[in-house]
Amino acid sequence: MKNWFVQLLVILIISTIAALAINSARGGGVAIIGDWPSGTRSGEGPVVPPSAEEGDPPFVTLEDAVAKYQSPDIIFIDSRDPEDFENGHIKRALNIPFEYLDEEWEVYIESLDHDLGYVVYCSGDECETSLHLGRYLYDFGFPHIYIFYGGWREWEDNGLPITTAESSGKGETR
Amino acid sequence: MKKVLSNDYLTLAFRFFLGIIFIYASLDKIAHPDQFARIVFNYHLLPGFLVNLCALILPMAEFIAGVCIITGTLYAGARNFLLIILVVFMVAIGVNVIRGVDLECGCFSVSSRAKSASLQLLFRDLIYLLIGLALVVSRSRRWMVDNFFLSRRAKV
Repeated sequence: MKNWFVQLLVILIISTIAALAINSARGGGVAIIGDWPSGTRSGEGPVVPPSAEEGDPPFVTLEDAVAKYQSPDIIFIDSRDPEDFENGHIKRALNIPFEYLDEEWEVYIESLDHDLGYVVYCSGDECETSLHLGRYLYDFGFPHIYIFYGGWREWEDNGLPITTAESSGKGETR
Repeated sequence: MKKVLSNDYLTLAFRFFLGIIFIYASLDKIAHPDQFARIVFNYHLLPGFLVNLCALILPMAEFIAGVCIITGTLYAGARNFLLIILVVFMVAIGVNVIRGVDLECGCFSVSSRAKSASLQLLFRDLIYLLIGLALVVSRSRRWMVDNFFLSRRAKV
């Protein structure tokens, strides 16, 4: 066996022992076998990210999101980049890109109706901006915030109403 | 070219550069394995049960390999490990650029901002890879702990 390969194995073995020892010695180390989601699902409970905490706004399933979509008192908010939003979004959704939030956005958010409900979503593939924006709005004093973690991908995959770059150019939506 | 790259001082400088980069990069990941696990997960390349294990072991291996390459201990193994890791990183970033994944949030994105951030990462890793390859070409073995043991063995 090549000498360098043996050396590499020695480095990996020492690293593994050191990493596991430090992790177990540290209070609140991570679980060695992680519990990460394998993707979005439908027909079960709502998709909830591992980073969700107690006190977060409620997470909703696709079915719940569709039901809320029918209500005139519920607004959908897309938390992705403006470019992603332009490329395609849930029909009638507003775009509040979480990564661009600044004082101007705060003024805009303040102008939103606090009596309405808001369903926040992002790309759906474990994207966390919907969770962060949901928390932000919740802390801002909006009492009816829901997070649709299945997001754009689950909505689009199920053939629900969307507006895309091409369709909005023609003034059409699905 | 080989003669230039085999210069003792240049080789030592490259060893320090690469070693410090990897040690520096590993410290935050070792301190916050939960946050690094999220980054590993965002690459969508590993099965869920391996994410935390990778997030724990990889930064420690980077740290130890970084120390080894500076001190010249288990030198060839450490150098080749860093090269392999760089290639793995570049493939992972490249795959996600093609798939359209924004590595910052793990989201599927078409935004040019996300793409350019990933391309910058790719370019940075390419520079490190070239420096690592220069160490492969270099024949210099001065100022290495490995040499100390080899010379003692030769005397015995």
